[in-house]
Amino acid sequence: MNEPIAGQAIEVGAPAGWKAPGFARLYDQHSRAIFYLALRYLGDVSKAEDATHDVFLKAFRRLDQFRGDASVRTWLYRIAINHCNDLCQSWHNRHIHTTSEDAVWENSPAKSDSPLRVLETKELGQRIQQTLDALPDEYRLLLLLVADEELSYDEIAELVGQSTDAVRGKLHRARKSFATHFEKTN
Amino acid sequence: MKQHTKLNQKQETIAEQQTESKVAREFSSSEELLRFDAGQTSVPPEITQRLQKSSAQISPSASRSWWKNIFGR
Repeated sequence: MNEPIAGQAIEVGAPAGWKAPGFARLYDQHSRAIFYLALRYLGDVSKAEDATHDVFLKAFRRLDQFRGDASVRTWLYRIAINHCNDLCQSWHNRHIHTTSEDAVWENSPAKSDSPLRVLETKELGQRIQQTLDALPDEYRLLLLLVADEELSYDEIAELVGQSTDAVRGKLHRARKSFATHFEKTN
Repeated sequence: MKQHTKLNQKQETIAEQQTESKVAREFSSSEELLRFDAGQTSVPPEITQRLQKSSAQISPSASRSWWKNIFGR
């Protein structure tokens, strides 16, 4: 895990223009992960920019509340997930997925273990966004979190408030659903 | 005739380049695909600038106590 190490000079590598260099380093290490989560979870660049700014500002304000029980990355993800969920609830801009609709995807021929092929990487982002938008929020979030290699299943389970076994089960269905939707974007 | 051959060669090169740009990428899982996508995504510099301004209005003492909390310094 690429966390700040005790004893290291926190000034080293801090981008110019920051009043708090230690925070600058934290931003440097985790901003891509938080921005990517916000981007693909919210599905809009400007909303993701605002969300990333707000998440890190919240973190900055609450730095003295960080107790070190979890990793900094997990702590930031928690703030980001709460923030994005609040935005989604207030905007009401997500499709409502019925249980029966989910069942259709989940019962379709298994493709989660098949390779996902793409020809043009420049359109890949659009296809990924379309696919994620078609998934229930819960699946979308799980897939985005598990794609971060710095997070363990236990940490993901804690972030989404479920057991590790439940996360594994849901991830299996989420991968399947992703693969099925992704093929349809081709 | 010689010019004609050169032209054909050029067209072939362009065609090859176009084919190369459409080389299929294969991802073994959704995680791998998303990781690749995340790797292609960069954080807009505007966020950094906004955050620098916003955080400058807040007392920097908070960040000091954070490092104390984590590292006991």
